[in-house]
Parts: sequence; C-alpha cells; structure tokens
Amino acid sequence: MKEILEKAISKKQKALSEYESKLVLAEAGVPVTREKLARTREEAVRFADEIGYPVAMKGCSHLLTHKTESGVIHLNLDSPEEVEGAFEAIEKAAGQIDGVLVQEMVKGNREFVIGLTRDPQFGPCVMFGLGGIFTEVLKDVSFRIAPLTEEDAEEMLEEIRSKELLDEFRGSPAVDRDMLVKALIGIGDLGERYDEIAEIDVNPLIVSGSRIVAVDALVILHQ
Amino acid sequence: MDKFFNPESIAVVGASNTPFNLAATICGITTYMKYSGNVYAVNRKGEAVHGCPGYTTVMDIPGNVDLAVILISAKQVPTVVRQCGEKGIKHLIIESAGFSEGGPDGQSMQEEINGYISRYGMRLMGPNCLGILNTHNRFCCFYGIIPGKYDTGFATTGSISYIIQSGGIGALILDSFQKDMVTVSKMASIGNKSDIDESDIIDYYNGDASTEVIGMYLENVQNGRKLMNTAMKVKKPLLAFKVGRTSEGSQAAASHTAGMANNDAVFECACRQSGIIRLKSISELHSLPKIFASMPLLRGRRIAVMTNSGAFGGIAADLIVESGMEMTRLSPETQAKLDKTGQLFNVKNPVDLGPAMAKQTFLDIFDILLSAEEVDGLLPVPNVWQDVVIEAILDLVEMCRKYGKPAAIYVPNAIDRILQIREKYRIPLFESLEEATRALAVSYQQFRFLKKKERFHERNIRKGDFEKTESPVGV
Repeated sequence: MKEILEKAISKKQKALSEYESKLVLAEAGVPVTREKLARTREEAVRFADEIGYPVAMKGCSHLLTHKTESGVIHLNLDSPEEVEGAFEAIEKAAGQIDGVLVQEMVKGNREFVIGLTRDPQFGPCVMFGLGGIFTEVLKDVSFRIAPLTEEDAEEMLEEIRSKELLDEFRGSPAVDRDMLVKALIGIGDLGERYDEIAEIDVNPLIVSGSRIVAVDALVILHQ
Repeated sequence: MDKFFNPESIAVVGASNTPFNLAATICGITTYMKYSGNVYAVNRKGEAVHGCPGYTTVMDIPGNVDLAVILISAKQVPTVVRQCGEKGIKHLIIESAGFSEGGPDGQSMQEEINGYISRYGMRLMGPNCLGILNTHNRFCCFYGIIPGKYDTGFATTGSISYIIQSGGIGALILDSFQKDMVTVSKMASIGNKSDIDESDIIDYYNGDASTEVIGMYLENVQNGRKLMNTAMKVKKPLLAFKVGRTSEGSQAAASHTAGMANNDAVFECACRQSGIIRLKSISELHSLPKIFASMPLLRGRRIAVMTNSGAFGGIAADLIVESGMEMTRLSPETQAKLDKTGQLFNVKNPVDLGPAMAKQTFLDIFDILLSAEEVDGLLPVPNVWQDVVIEAILDLVEMCRKYGKPAAIYVPNAIDRILQIREKYRIPLFESLEEATRALAVSYQQFRFLKKKERFHERNIRKGDFEKTESPVGV
C-alpha cells in the first residue's frame, strides 16, 4: 500500500486511478469489484472471459476523476465483440490512460457511499451515507472522527435517515453490517496511518445480496 | 490552574483613577465583593485605586503575586508580560484586545508574548477575554461590572461552571439565574485561547468539588482532538453551544465527502463521539443544567406523563415521542393501583387526575408511578390552581431522589407565576413543556454517554493502553 502511494506521489499525481484506489481500499478491508487492467484489446477479452459476462469497462487513469462525464464508461457488456468495441471507443474518447479496467457488473438496487476527509481541527473524518447520483442532493450522511471504535461505526449506520435500507429490502436480504463496520473502521485507519491521503470517496458502494462491494473509488492525495 | 480561580494576591495592571478607566472597575468589584486576597493596582503614577495599593510596575509589588490581570493598550502588553515573568508571576490574564485578531502587528506582539510565556513557564488566559468569576470565594476579575448590578448572581454559590468565549453570554447567564434555583459556581472567559483553551478548563472543572455541571459557549475549536480526549475522561455533564456554521471548507474540497463535511457536521459528530451534549440554543445553557443538579439521571426511554388537564397530556405525548423517548405503557397492576386512589379520570398514560385537591392524592400517584418498573422518568404537568400542588411538587423532588428516577416538571401557568414559584420554593421548574421534555432527553443522553465512556475505558484497560486513557474521574 505504501508503495502505491509513494509511487503516485513521486509521479506528482493528484489522485490515484480507480484501479490503484481499489488496491489501497481492499487492503484496508473494503470489499471491491473483481477487476483487471487491460492494456490491449486481446487482454480485455481474456479478462472478460475470466471474470464472466456481463462486464463493465472503464478508462483508467489518475487524471479521470469524473468518468461519467468523459464517456469512458461502458456497462453491461455481454460478449467478446462488445468488449472489443468498448475497448476501441474508450481509447478514442480518453486521452492518456493507464489501460482499460475490465470489471464484474455488480447487481443491486441499494447504493451507499463511504468516504474520508480531513478537518483542520479534528483530523481525519469518516463519512457514511446514502450513495449513488443523488448523494449530494439528499445529503443523508453521518460522520465520525477517526480512529473509529466498532460502536462509533455502528452508530453511524443508525444515524442516516434511510437506515431502513440496511434491513431486508424488496426481497433482498439485510446488509452485512459487520462488513460495513469493518470497512468504515478500515477507511478511518487509512486516514490515521497515511498522511499522504487527503480525501477518499467510495461511491457507489453497492449492496449485492447481503454483501457490500465498492464499484467506484477515488483516493485524492496531498500535494 | 487553581491559582486562576483562587489567587491569594493579584496585580491589576492598568487600573488608575483616570475617568472611564476599565481596569479600575476590576479593583472596584474585588473591593465591593470584599475579596479576601491582596489586590494591587499597577499604573504610571503608582496610585491606589478603590482602596487597592498602587505601584508603578509589577516588579515593585512587595512579596509574591499569584495572578496578574492585564488591561492596557495592546502595544504595552509584551513589556508587562516580560516584567511579570521576571517577578515570578506564573498566572496571567490578558483582557486587552488587538492581538491575533488585530492584523500583522497584533500577530507579532502575540508571538513576543508567547516567547515570554514559555521562557518563564507562565500560563496565559486570553488575550481578549474577561477572565474569571468564582462565586465560592467571591473572586471576580471581569471588567466593567458595576457594583450592585449582579449582586444576586454573586451572592449565592452554585454548582454550574462555565467556559465562555463571550462576555455578553456570561452576563446573560448570570442575569437568567437570578430567578432560578441553581446558579453559577465558576465562569472562565477564555478569549483568543493563545495558551489556555476550553480543554484545560474542562480538566480543571472535572477535578473541582464545587462543579457538578459544565457549560460551554464556543466560537471556535482549535484543537479538536484535545477536546475529544478531555471530554472522554469527564463524567460530569458537559453541555456545549457552538456558533459558526461555515461552508468555507466545502468550497476548497475536491471530493464529495469533503464537500459535505462542513465544520458544523464535524463538530456535531465530535460531540456525539466524545460525550458532549450539544445544545440547540443559548438559553439551554442556563435552562437545562438544573435537571442534572437536582435530579437523578434518566436511565431509560420510558416516560409517564401526569397532568390535571387532559390537553397537556396529549401535547406532552407528542413531544416525548419527537424527542426519541417513549410514552410508557402502564402495566395492569400499576393501573389497578392508580384506580384505587379513586380520583383519576384516566389511569393510562398520560395519567389525568382531574381536579384533585388532596395533597395525598398527588403523592400516592407520584409514588405509584415512580415505583413502577415500566417507568424510567416522569413528566408531571400539574396546573398550580391550588397551593397544595406546590406542596406536592416539593415532596416529589424528594421522592425522585429516593427512587433514583427524574421528573422534569412543568406547570402550565403564566411565566411570571412559574418564575415566582421556582424562586420562592427552589423547585426545578422548567419554563415550557418543550424545555421540560428536552431536559429529559439530555438527561438520558448523558446516561448513555456515561455508559459509553465506561465501555471505552474498560476496552482500553483490556488492551493495556494506559497512556491513551484515564479512568473517568467521579463527581
């Protein structure tokens, strides 16, 4: 983890790419999507076969912090032909990229957000809340100052208005709270241990069955 | 720190007989309050002020000086601070303004002062503050206090201690307590907090035998971690009102998380996490402490409402549920006992006793409710339409202590009457039904905070992590 951060800082990156961000998060205890970084069209097809269809493909670079707007995301790709097509489209749309991320499509109708920020007086703060595209409009979030105890993390889950979404919901099982608690504590510990990390956004964190999976992630570095 | 609150000798630097001299009011109030310590005035002529002997510098004062209170123009302050250091004065209160808040010149003077503070091993309160009020030894170094104006506030000793970043708030609290049954123990106005901050004072109040409740009015928090670590050690109720809902932080933020983590949201979670009761209004600083000073803590959510007017029962029920508490379901046994009193309109919660006139009826009902397993606390709303109601409430306060359950009492009468009864009989009456319900809610919050602090402490003992934590010090 230290190497990823050091390498990025030595290259004067302002942020980690999605791929790098998820490597850091996975090590901190946040479950992430199964994914591989493809450099060629052939590699992309091979990875898609390994991961299993359908897949999602995303242009991957530390410069791409707003991927939706840049046309570098292709979802629900069902065949090798679609994967090849998407690879070419992404190469055309994106400028300089590290490669194309081939990742599992996570199915779930509940989306949450977790994150980290630094307060000048209180230090690293962990956020949990309702995720997806309406996060900033609904502002249904709770905060705790790191390091978090299990009790702190459990309280965060209880403080959002939409906390009932964590229970059984429209035929889906209740969310694995232990997994969430572990992820929140892990994010807080990242902030405590690594001054290099300025902010983290994990949005969306999708609930699939009872498991949580980070589908997109962004780690912003200190300059 | 104790010498700030209990100094045996004080130098008031800047006090003179020039008209409108502010520092002279400090000599005036210490003389008026007959403070037992030695108070000296320091001014250019070395003249005595309000009976306090005068000297031209602190160096000339014979013998030991515990505390220097400085109120002169900012540019003269650094020299005086150095002289205090040379004299061996360890405690300073700088009431003058014009330092870190006063541009680059003020900033450089502040740095010069900081240098002397560390060189001579002094502690500094302020600058830009009022300093200390201690009702127990009648020491007050607030400037501008006119003798006679706050006599009631100073005359009685209380158990509520304050940390304030505004003199105006201090004055409001003192004024409000004139018609209350609790009052101030100590007040510290800490200004710019260049050395001593709210955490240092919390720590002092925590060990202070005459402080039961701590109230804070904060305009900023400079060291948030220190505040949280201090708060986790304190068992006394810690109430805070903070201003400043800024969105400055969110403008500079690159991530969505940072955008939503404004200053206010972070302070809110710091309070929840470290066991600080966050107040919703300034008036709660003086209205809520009495629930802690006069009643046991609320140890559960289940509330019984008792009234002699049905309307208030319904209103109270709404407020209780909205505050996160529950209207308890009285058991058949409790209802049967209530029924036997033969007076009640309604034996279910809210209990309505109608126009009962016998004191014993009130007492029987209080006893039945307080002794019931399913009742954690009471919200009595009896209209004082007969003096007998007051007598019954007086006994209720005693019964609450006996059963270890609180009652937040509101009498639905005109505010003048409420204040008059509270002052005369010294009963913890709240001024509205909303205030009484809120008092129960914060009492329960404090109960949960104490549990949390105990768990936190136990966990750290198990981890062998003795450095990081200290046992919460008992009251």
